[in-house]
Amino acid sequence: MTKEEVQGATEEEQQAQSKKALKKQQKEAEKAAKKAEKQAKLASEQQSTEEDDFAKDRYGVSAMVQSQQKVDRTLVRVQDLTPEKADQLIWVRARVHTSRAKGKQCFLVLRQQQFNVQALVAVGDRASKQMVKFAANITKESIVDVEASVRKVEQKIESCSQQDVELHIERIFIISQAEPRLPLQLEDAVRPDGEGEEEGRATVNQDTRLDNRVIDLRTTTSQAVFRLQSGVCQLFRDTLTKKGFVEIQTPKIISAASEGGANVFTVSYFKTSAYLAQSPQLYKQMCICADFDKVFCVGPVFRAEDSNTHRHLTEFVGLDIEMAFNYHYHEVIESITDTMVQIFKGLRDNFQTEIQTVNKQFPSQPFKFLEPTLRLEFTEAVAMLREAGVEMGDEDDLSTPNEKLLGRLVKEKYDTDFYVLDKYPLAVRPFYTMPDPNNPKYSNSYDMFMRGEEILSGAQRIHDAQLLTERATHHQIDLEKIKSYIDSFRFGAPPHGGGGIGLERVCMLYLGLHNVRQTSMFPRDPKRLTP
Amino acid sequence: MSMYQVKPVCGGDVKLDLPACMYKLPNVHAQQGNSCTAEHALQNGELDPAVKALEARQDEIMRKLYEMKAVVDGLAKTILTPDADLDLTVSSSLSSQSSTAFRGTTDLDTLLGKDLGALRDIVINANPAQPPLTLLVLHSLLCQRYRVLSTVHVHSSVSSVPPQLLSCLGPRHADSYARHLFQLGFTLIWKDVPKLQMKFSVQSMCPVEGEANVARFLFKLLTPYPSDPAQATLVDSWVDTAFFQLAEGGAKEQAAVLRAFNSALGRSPWLCGPEFSLADIACYCCILVRGSTSSAPANVQRWIKSCENLGHFGPAKLLLQ
Repeated sequence: MTKEEVQGATEEEQQAQSKKALKKQQKEAEKAAKKAEKQAKLASEQQSTEEDDFAKDRYGVSAMVQSQQKVDRTLVRVQDLTPEKADQLIWVRARVHTSRAKGKQCFLVLRQQQFNVQALVAVGDRASKQMVKFAANITKESIVDVEASVRKVEQKIESCSQQDVELHIERIFIISQAEPRLPLQLEDAVRPDGEGEEEGRATVNQDTRLDNRVIDLRTTTSQAVFRLQSGVCQLFRDTLTKKGFVEIQTPKIISAASEGGANVFTVSYFKTSAYLAQSPQLYKQMCICADFDKVFCVGPVFRAEDSNTHRHLTEFVGLDIEMAFNYHYHEVIESITDTMVQIFKGLRDNFQTEIQTVNKQFPSQPFKFLEPTLRLEFTEAVAMLREAGVEMGDEDDLSTPNEKLLGRLVKEKYDTDFYVLDKYPLAVRPFYTMPDPNNPKYSNSYDMFMRGEEILSGAQRIHDAQLLTERATHHQIDLEKIKSYIDSFRFGAPPHGGGGIGLERVCMLYLGLHNVRQTSMFPRDPKRLTP
Repeated sequence: MSMYQVKPVCGGDVKLDLPACMYKLPNVHAQQGNSCTAEHALQNGELDPAVKALEARQDEIMRKLYEMKAVVDGLAKTILTPDADLDLTVSSSLSSQSSTAFRGTTDLDTLLGKDLGALRDIVINANPAQPPLTLLVLHSLLCQRYRVLSTVHVHSSVSSVPPQLLSCLGPRHADSYARHLFQLGFTLIWKDVPKLQMKFSVQSMCPVEGEANVARFLFKLLTPYPSDPAQATLVDSWVDTAFFQLAEGGAKEQAAVLRAFNSALGRSPWLCGPEFSLADIACYCCILVRGSTSSAPANVQRWIKSCENLGHFGPAKLLLQ
């Protein structure tokens, strides 16, 4: 082969090569382009993951709060989320009440006590798809910290307590996660009776509620009930303190049964046994004899009654009053009824939201009362009942149905849910009740009724040791057992009277509820000791 | 064997159309019975029932005569001195004799039904924005007549009530702790009601609505309505005029009513003739509320003075101050 040839060949080759190279180059270029494209794609993907990372800081499960650091951050209360806060960026800690994902956005209802607000996570420059997904998967009842901007809404949000604003979530962190399976659904627990049956929806029965009281107490209804109950106690204390009463504490472990021996709990007390107080009566009376003049106490009382009715508990909170009076025991009635009226007024004026909330689930007529309170006498009640066709003797006690009927008759005529029935027959009252000076068949004793159910039973007490002994013998009570009680009146005792109210019953009847367990936070009855 | 007595199947004095051809004999049975009981009575030294009946009838006639005399005396007094300067103390102390005190056989048992042991309680629901002056006046008249347990309550539908409305039924009765000592209850409840309402017996009576109707009910407890239907209608129509035209009507209507008053009072001392009646109470109270006493015509002015002299309107005036 000649050089030229070779050269030519090489040239040719080169040419060929160059052709190849060209092709190669082309291919490479294509590859590069593809690579570039890929890289661009990757880069763009990278960018997107970078964006993800950027959003990653905006959601997640935060480490268990062990008080690692003290964050200086103001948390706004849900109830304060009003249109005035519009367009502000705020932090809220609340429970996830419900969540509902819908494409690129997720609606949450955040709840704090009885208040709730709608919140929204939407894919955008602040939230990624993953964040929306995360938000949608937060289990109900978990507690979250949320940073969000408050926005006014065009249309009122009917399902929430904060109807004029919603939250646009920018960060969301789980503080405490709830288990995915709840023993009861809150929506079911607040559904009005009857409505569930019609629509085939679930309602929660009493026992399930009481077994899972912690969750049941989170419902708006329960929140309202127990806030109102706290109000009753507060108003009771305030009113009586203003009237010059002294709050006293009495022992709950006692040596002898105060009101008959039948329904008293026995507890072992070292080598002997003792009883749980059925009422602080003896101690209230001793305070009167010790010149405290007017006393009240708020504390648990125990009744070992094996009755499973809507209104009996074995342990409940007693609001007890005892006071010395000058000349007539109506002074005591007036004090007690005025206290009750002040409580009712306070509730009417300051707890209207709570009353409305409870009414949504358990509709009832608003509680009506008169000031001063209506007082009727027992003989009148008997006459009214007889007129209505009830047959009863003059000295028979009122049966529960008759009490209810009487309540209806009184309501019809006087339009009041609260009244006093005075002058009960002596025969149906305890031995320490003062007899009526004009008619030995009757006594200076009274009951008070709310919505036709008895809430208070009271009387002028006998403050004379001799008369007390006579009455006790008449009732065939062993004088030895009540010796200390009688003895406390031997050293001069002012005339006095009083009565005791059951807190749970007052709340139940004020709200028109039908079971005392609804107004007892952790009720105790013959069949329930837990929780 | 002794026999038992049987009541005669038909009365002994049945008139029969007997043939005239026979002569009459005295009724054997009737005579026997009569003579028997007469003898019996004589034996026991009792009066013949016929005599007794006669005596009772004469007593009744005498009683009626005395009553009539009292009425005539009253009439004479009213006609002669309708605007006599009877001062307050005199009129209230002489209430049983004065012409304006209410007489008549008013017994609560017959009016309101048998007492079953419960206090007969008249419950009146009134709106504090419109105090029922007429009823307050009637209440004070009832208090002069019966032992009335008066109580004022505030219903929970009303948040607060001015103090004079709480004391509008006067001071509390000293015996108010014992309800059974009273004949009648008067319970006034200040309540958010669109129209005044009275409840008495929820079992057998529907609530009475409107101040005029309640006033009629209360007035009948004081004295029976005139037995003459025309007179009763007259009273009723004045009461309606008072509440519908005087109290609620405009100035024109009111002026017309006053003119009508004037002409009625030109004919008689009181609106419905010689006797002071519910019409006077209602009209006077409505005039008090409107406060239009100064511009009234002469006869009305005179009548207003007469009303004021009676001393019945203290409670209404006290409330308006």
